[in-house]
Amino acid sequence: MHKDSSPQRPPFRRLLIANRGEIAVRIVRACRELGIESVAVYSEADTDAMHVAVADLAVAIGPRAASDSYLSIPAVIAAARQTGAQAVHPGYGFLSENAAFARAVEEAGLAWIGPPPATQEALGNKLAARRSVTDAGVPVVPGLLVALEDGELPDLSSIGYPAMLKAAAGGGGRGMRRISRPEELPSAVESARREALSAFGDGTLYVERLISPARHIEVQLLGDRHGNLAVLGERDCSVQRRHQKLVEETPSPAVTPEVRRALFDSARRVAATVEFHNAATVEFLLDGEGNHYFLEMNTRLQVEHGITELVTGIDIVAWQIRIAAGEPLPAELLDPEPRGHAVEVRIYAEDPYAGFRPVAGAVTAWRLPGGPGVRIDHAVTPGAALAPEYDPLLAKVMVHAADRPAALARLRRALDEMVVGGLQTDLGFHRWLVDEPGFAAGDYHTGLIPELWGESGPPVDPLDASLAALLAREARAARSGSDGSDGSNGAADLAGRVAPDRAWARLAREEARR
Amino acid sequence: MSRDLELRVAGEAAEAPEGWTVGWIDRAGGVARLSDGSRSLLAVVEGSGSSWTVMLRGRRISVTVRTWRERVLADAESGATLHDGPIEIRATLPGLVVALALAEGAEVAEGDALLTIEAMKMQNEVRAPRAGRVASMAVTPGQTVATGALLLRLE
Repeated sequence: MHKDSSPQRPPFRRLLIANRGEIAVRIVRACRELGIESVAVYSEADTDAMHVAVADLAVAIGPRAASDSYLSIPAVIAAARQTGAQAVHPGYGFLSENAAFARAVEEAGLAWIGPPPATQEALGNKLAARRSVTDAGVPVVPGLLVALEDGELPDLSSIGYPAMLKAAAGGGGRGMRRISRPEELPSAVESARREALSAFGDGTLYVERLISPARHIEVQLLGDRHGNLAVLGERDCSVQRRHQKLVEETPSPAVTPEVRRALFDSARRVAATVEFHNAATVEFLLDGEGNHYFLEMNTRLQVEHGITELVTGIDIVAWQIRIAAGEPLPAELLDPEPRGHAVEVRIYAEDPYAGFRPVAGAVTAWRLPGGPGVRIDHAVTPGAALAPEYDPLLAKVMVHAADRPAALARLRRALDEMVVGGLQTDLGFHRWLVDEPGFAAGDYHTGLIPELWGESGPPVDPLDASLAALLAREARAARSGSDGSDGSNGAADLAGRVAPDRAWARLAREEARR
Repeated sequence: MSRDLELRVAGEAAEAPEGWTVGWIDRAGGVARLSDGSRSLLAVVEGSGSSWTVMLRGRRISVTVRTWRERVLADAESGATLHDGPIEIRATLPGLVVALALAEGAEVAEGDALLTIEAMKMQNEVRAPRAGRVASMAVTPGQTVATGALLLRLE
């Protein structure tokens, strides 16, 4: 029997998606397959966005600033009421881990597609979660179990250096700082607090020892409202910049069957500390000796859920919705046997040759890979300027094949098929990564980018430089041929900016010498 | 005429490689196939006049394609605009000015933090490219700036 056999009738008639971008499009797709009408919400920046175009209904919820639109609980709830939606899916980011929003959804009589608000509250505070999972016998990263008071500089001698400063309300690498020496502490505390306050509205910080080298491994959980819990395997998310994930794969090349059993056991223990149902991810660090340490539990859908869907054949988003409607997980989903290997690379509008800084602009050329074992989730509209207010994720390129070498060959092929014009993206980094010997061997850790790529990556390959020169020359020649001008009388343009007599005098002298 | 064009990549003289040819897949969109007869690559080229950008293997490469006349005129222009005046620090990315590290009149050393711009929820510090004195601040905290916006003058 197929694992994803459709329900007899749609779990809900109409569902509101409180998000934008590729994840909103992903949720619309699940809705369509389940026979549910989808409602998109959008800010003034997203009038022409793809998630608005593909949804059955769309409601404007406010201005460009996320704080007044996608993060506005009253605006989203009003849109749900206005359209008669019965359920709300928050996606990831924005309000997805906001317990106040989850409560507002339930108080409005709507189904919340995610773990219960009380669970989100208990686990949303990373510091409180550290304390409760320690009591459940799950190993945590050594460090302080209490918050740093405002203006207080902690004594880190018991933890040792380097240490990591983290935001209790944190996530996505924000509010995190590495501290190598005591002198770095004051400025790190100040900037981390400011970043945490601006990102989460809560500047509470705590300190952990830095585990290095380490792999970042997470375990995907799916639980129904009848006490059944499925562990859908692990994902290795060790390729990171700014403590944010860039590449994920499953299974992890670093996880042996023994380590996997221990990770899954810890993940189940973490889930048991709370009333859990729906989808969540338990994140761990894995050190070189195979010891794992709990980091946090994300009570929402992850960006990288797609690779787990590829190897398990389970539609996580569809099951989130079915679980919220009360459906039990069938027995064959509770102990899935993953097949093959899947890898995801995230294509961001950022420049890996300049410290992965965000770039502005619009995508022009946009050709996506396809063929066997390739899945692309994206919401790019070529020609439309990217909104700097939101996450700069352009696309997730996912591949699935029988084993890791075949998956990497497929990824290399897919990246070579992909064409992105108009702005610099991470694509060149990913193309480099596929052939990086440590990554190709599965032997890498969270220090890969700082240690092997650095701020700017390798210099431009000489062949690539000359190929670029060839292509630019042919492009200019082709342009000249089509509009009849040879583009050689640029002096007319320059005359306004350069003292004309001086420029022309120089040209005349050079002309005479020629 | 193409043989007379001067090619520069990242300021260095460049030459088109032997044996490679260009086939247009979408000429208006700048999408092309580069081939040497045994292997091929996809690339995008965009630009106009002497200034072109090529996206190859995911990397953006700037190429200057100049006629002899353009080269001479550009050299004349760069000679004409050299000066020792104050330098302007401009935003290299769009975002929100969240904090000023310094006030007008402050002396700075090369690499000192000048101000912080938040973009894509990341805090980016703008640093002094050389030593000098902050002659004027053009922005205040809370202000949104576009790429290229004047942030401050350094003298």
